[in-house]
Amino acid sequence: MAAQDGAGEGEIDLTPMLDVVFIMLIFFIVTSSFVKEPGVDLRKVEAVTTNPCARGTIIFAVDALGKIHYDKNEVPLDRTYRLAEAAKKESPKANFVIQADREAPTSVLSELVSVVKPLLDAPLCVSTDEKG
Amino acid sequence: MRKRNRQSDADEAQIDLTPMLDVVFIMLIFFIVVASFLKEAGVEMNRPDANQNPPETDATSILVTITGDDQIWMENRLVDIQSVRAVIAQKLASDPEQSFTVITNAGATAGTVISVADAAREAGVKQVNWPAEKKQ
Repeated sequence: MAAQDGAGEGEIDLTPMLDVVFIMLIFFIVTSSFVKEPGVDLRKVEAVTTNPCARGTIIFAVDALGKIHYDKNEVPLDRTYRLAEAAKKESPKANFVIQADREAPTSVLSELVSVVKPLLDAPLCVSTDEKG
Repeated sequence: MRKRNRQSDADEAQIDLTPMLDVVFIMLIFFIVVASFLKEAGVEMNRPDANQNPPETDATSILVTITGDDQIWMENRLVDIQSVRAVIAQKLASDPEQSFTVITNAGATAGTVISVADAAREAGVKQVNWPAEKKQ
């Protein structure tokens, strides 16, 4: 009872705060994209023409030894198609990004591109660092 | 007067918003934590369809070959990575609509092929084609 009275006396209007909180909530819901990061540290190539990869949220990585990483796991090449397909099904608007170490063999990279090629609806984005 | 009236109305029919606020805050914190502002940036590369004409037969195409030991060859000439952009730009000057293809051989490293793609894009190539490597 006493607490109720106390609240009644010193009442603060919460409506503006609620408005702000709701707007923030909606913003974060809309922008969240649930990226599964490959979880490897790579020395990416520096490129002058680095452009943002539009909706590039399905990320595969090829390290310097030619191992493929996805969602913090190392995956064999023959499993990448199933993983890529599942990821594409989960978020059909997402595009593929491949992170490649500068020492990564092109043979692995090329195979990986061939594997995801049927699932692509935009040119594949090979992740680079901006030069300069 | 009116204001006081409304105030008393609000007091009568007040809803306790605290549980909803709790839920909203927890959702807000969840989405803030989950939101990753990770923006991937890179170079776009196109993989042509396998049944497309081999680029060697295409006269109006710029062709760069990367050998297994990371040497860059254009029209039977060895080209340094620094001068790739200039050579491509020169070729592109005669016909800006030329397609661009980079062919790699097993043993080359990703750094070389991406640098060549970058140089080509810098020179003004619209799309970098990278067909699958031929199996030995």
